[in-house]
Amino acid sequence: MTATLVAILSLTVLGIPITLAVDRRARGPLLVGSSFLYGSGAMFVVMLALSVAHVPWTLISVSASALVIFCGAAIIARGQPSTGSRQRVTSPYVFDLVTLLTLTSYALYATLAPLWEWDFWAIWGLKAKAFLEVGGIDWHFLESRWNTFAHPDYPLLVPSNFDFVALVNGGWSDRWLGLVFVAWAVALLLIVRALAARETSPFFASLLTLALVSLAVSRYVGLAEGALIAFGGAGVLFVRTALRDGEAAAWRHGALMLGFAANCKNEGMALMVAVTIAAGVVSWFGGRQVAWPGNATVRPRDRAITRLFVLWPAYALAAPWLLLRAMHALPTDIVGGSAVSRLMARLPYAHQILGFLAARLYEPWFWMAILAGLLIAPAVARRRELFVILVTVIQLAFYVVAYLSTPHNLRWHVLTSWSRLTGQIAVAITFAVFLMLANSLRDGQDAPHAEARPDE
Amino acid sequence: MTLRRALLLLSLATIVAMCIEPRLLQMPFVERGPYARALAVFPDRQWPQYPQFLEGIRAHTRPGDTIAVVVPAMGWDEGYSYAYYRASYFLTGREVLPLVDPENRQLPQNFRGARYVAAFGVTLRAPADVVWRGDGGTLSRLR
Repeated sequence: MTATLVAILSLTVLGIPITLAVDRRARGPLLVGSSFLYGSGAMFVVMLALSVAHVPWTLISVSASALVIFCGAAIIARGQPSTGSRQRVTSPYVFDLVTLLTLTSYALYATLAPLWEWDFWAIWGLKAKAFLEVGGIDWHFLESRWNTFAHPDYPLLVPSNFDFVALVNGGWSDRWLGLVFVAWAVALLLIVRALAARETSPFFASLLTLALVSLAVSRYVGLAEGALIAFGGAGVLFVRTALRDGEAAAWRHGALMLGFAANCKNEGMALMVAVTIAAGVVSWFGGRQVAWPGNATVRPRDRAITRLFVLWPAYALAAPWLLLRAMHALPTDIVGGSAVSRLMARLPYAHQILGFLAARLYEPWFWMAILAGLLIAPAVARRRELFVILVTVIQLAFYVVAYLSTPHNLRWHVLTSWSRLTGQIAVAITFAVFLMLANSLRDGQDAPHAEARPDE
Repeated sequence: MTLRRALLLLSLATIVAMCIEPRLLQMPFVERGPYARALAVFPDRQWPQYPQFLEGIRAHTRPGDTIAVVVPAMGWDEGYSYAYYRASYFLTGREVLPLVDPENRQLPQNFRGARYVAAFGVTLRAPADVVWRGDGGTLSRLR
């Protein structure tokens, strides 16, 4: 357990200068939460780079490379302006104690036993363990026709984080890896708490964070869902903030988080594309509802293009793995064979398939509550949250297309993945709907930046 | 309170209520020992001795060795996929070769191409020398 805790702490420390390089004004929960996620993502980049350079993974080689990133980020952070227009204060509230209790409960659950999920020892843990044996990415393992069950095309952020823990531990152990999943969830919730505090009262911000705990923690301990929910959820929420406030740091946060989400799972790649499309649509058609500081006369098309361009770090982070997996011809099962013909063959039955998805929806009452909240909220609030609504709808559409083109038995594929997929997109839409309702309830319909009062 | 405010409040309260996970909140207050024991054996509930057997195989083989796995259930969905995947996890560094594919087609070339055959819960009927025996199975080197 100590090694895992040391690894988590090391990743957080590694992420501090990266967070400050992205956003010099980050403080409190935002700084801590973002730092762990950046440390986790940076460690993946380090280990991928070492592997490509044929430098064996050892604690020394990995630590030295991480130190280079740490110093580089610290130098960039020092050069950033430290003053800003807003003071980011997050006042504690009584609900935060319940949130803490729930997270403690999750930590107890996630560390009950060595990781037990089938997909852990057949995919994520298997890859990490195989790579640790050779001190780098084992391309022979990934290219072997006998290992296609391990999904060789899946990105490697999660296995590389497991391997970092193993290097700190001095050897492989799956006993306490559940703590890493707790850390991903805590990091996301700290970011949620900080972002919510900018837009609503401490009461609602802490209540929202409490409500999101069960969505931020992944029930599938050992799978990449936990990391994807954290990076993807944070990415969508940062881009949402950027669209609302026009804040450059939020764009950078959003782009980087989405890039790391794309390195967790293929659904993260899809999410990156969904966010790009939604941000483009909102920027194009958003009119005055979206912030554009200092330039109110910019044309919608130019604004949309400029905003899409600021997401380039996401694509830059996703590109290396896409390139490597293409170079090594690692197969993707969904597009294997003739995906288009499968899609066309199933299209006439789309209504039946959608009906099956609706019938098999995990936590249907939760989704009914979200839908009801969307309908009850004032139209102006709904329009303001168009971005998150669009991201959710587009990502759902991607899932449906994947099901329609799957080479597997469709029923089996839905039953084994649908609850996980809907869980991946729940945080951002719940955040948006909750704030729509909460801020409509408060005096004055909406009170942005309730805790973010100017300090200058 | 207007009807709209009442609906907003009700909707918000419903979302919060739907998000609260009572089973998770119980975790600090329940006896976790039985849960821990159940989860620890969960992956290997079909053959509880199999992990120890695989540890023995690992101890008696070297990185790079090729190993074919024979178990009582040789149907892919009847247990062979579990046996093969589980062996891949425990025997990382070695190359584990399946003898059946997901369509239940036999793969005799993998049997011939393997350096070792790990037979769990069955007696291997092939010309081979037993290298190690224990935990419900044998490790044999094909002649």
